[in-house]
Amino acid sequence: MRVAVIAGSISGGFRIAREIECLPGVEVFVLACSVGKRSRLLRWTREVLSALKSFKWVTLAARVYGYARRGRLIILHHPLDDATSIERVRSLQCDVGLHAANVIYREPVISAFRLGILNAHIGILPKYRGRCVAEWSILQGEPTGVTVFFIDPGIDTGARIVLREFIPSNGWRNVRALKNMLFRCDARLYRKALEALMSAEFSLESNDISKGQRYYVMSRLFTKVVNKILATTHIVAG
Amino acid sequence: MDLETVLSRPVQLDCCEGILRGALLTRRAELRKSWRRFISPECLASLGALAKEVETLLSGEDAFRDWRFAGAFGWMDCDASFADNLRAIALAHNFEHRPSDAAPAQLCLGAFNRLPRDERTEFLYDRYRCPLNIGLPSETDVAEELLRQLMVPDRGKLEAGTEFDAEMVLLKLNLVGVRAMVTRDLRYLDALNYFYELPRRSLMRMRSNPRLHSFWMCIYSQLLSTPGWQKCALR
Repeated sequence: MRVAVIAGSISGGFRIAREIECLPGVEVFVLACSVGKRSRLLRWTREVLSALKSFKWVTLAARVYGYARRGRLIILHHPLDDATSIERVRSLQCDVGLHAANVIYREPVISAFRLGILNAHIGILPKYRGRCVAEWSILQGEPTGVTVFFIDPGIDTGARIVLREFIPSNGWRNVRALKNMLFRCDARLYRKALEALMSAEFSLESNDISKGQRYYVMSRLFTKVVNKILATTHIVAG
Repeated sequence: MDLETVLSRPVQLDCCEGILRGALLTRRAELRKSWRRFISPECLASLGALAKEVETLLSGEDAFRDWRFAGAFGWMDCDASFADNLRAIALAHNFEHRPSDAAPAQLCLGAFNRLPRDERTEFLYDRYRCPLNIGLPSETDVAEELLRQLMVPDRGKLEAGTEFDAEMVLLKLNLVGVRAMVTRDLRYLDALNYFYELPRRSLMRMRSNPRLHSFWMCIYSQLLSTPGWQKCALR
């Protein structure tokens, strides 16, 4: 299976690549995208800073060199939905893309991957679509977790769910810490999702959007409420 | 971890209900003191006879009217205009409404969004002459679209300080607020929370329509005073 990590930064891409490259039968590519309207100088400054921040920049540099030498590190200089970028992505003939960039995917990009692009959404689908879903789950007394599904151009409406993992919010002091932890589950869950996709007895689950709602950015008032709930349950759990 | 394991350690719901209620009442107390910063004396004066009632509702004791019954009713008709009915709801008064013989046809969202601005506004005023109808299950698609528009493009324009259609935004805020009153859906209440928290310079531009501006503040005030949000959300 040919898999491309679609990343907003090289170090971000390698964080996920490292987790999945050990899977037998998986060939990994890292696609470093140009996110937003950043200048080249800004983009590369950020890349260097984020590499240095990892404190493992020597290892990272060695990995970058290894991937680049084998043609597995692709740096896109144009936005992802630009025709030249799409052509480059198509030429890789990947089966699956792994979302790790802050970009919106349009149909031509999605269809450049044989099976599609996987997203690790930090909420339980189909119930919680959209933004701040971890917070909304807590506010409504429901379990938190991550859903890995194949995206479509809509907001968390892709019809095929690969896996869902319930991850309790107990023990996390505030929303920021909880969300950081949930976001950091992406590499592990992408690995699990790829393993599932490659297994013979696997079947996809349907993301029936009529069973859920779309959520939006949460107000400061409700975020405070969620932080208080987390602090309370943190004490209870402790 | 499976669902069963997670649910065996449920979040303490009673405690959550208490925290939420406390936060809403604190915001209500804040609004009681701060509403004059949103509704200027000129804005209040332009309301005429209404000014006193708006002032009483916003500065007075916590007041709200329970409109949940309307969600279980069918379509309702009114003789009074949208503005009069919205005023009654905003000021926690009752108003005359009766079951309708025939509900209007289901709205096609695509066609609605393609209407020119004035026709869209007119359409909303006309369809929701009895504003409680926005709380009906049959109106879910329209209400969701209004919520989406408020929380995505309109919010974006207000936060960026770019031009926005104040009357349309106010109309949507009022309808979304009424939907929250009928359905007790926390997402609809939170849209009003979010707009209340926007930088004041953004909200100042909404003074161009003092009536709709005061009404959404009054509806918001009632929503903050309403108990039992979480129990309703979990039903």
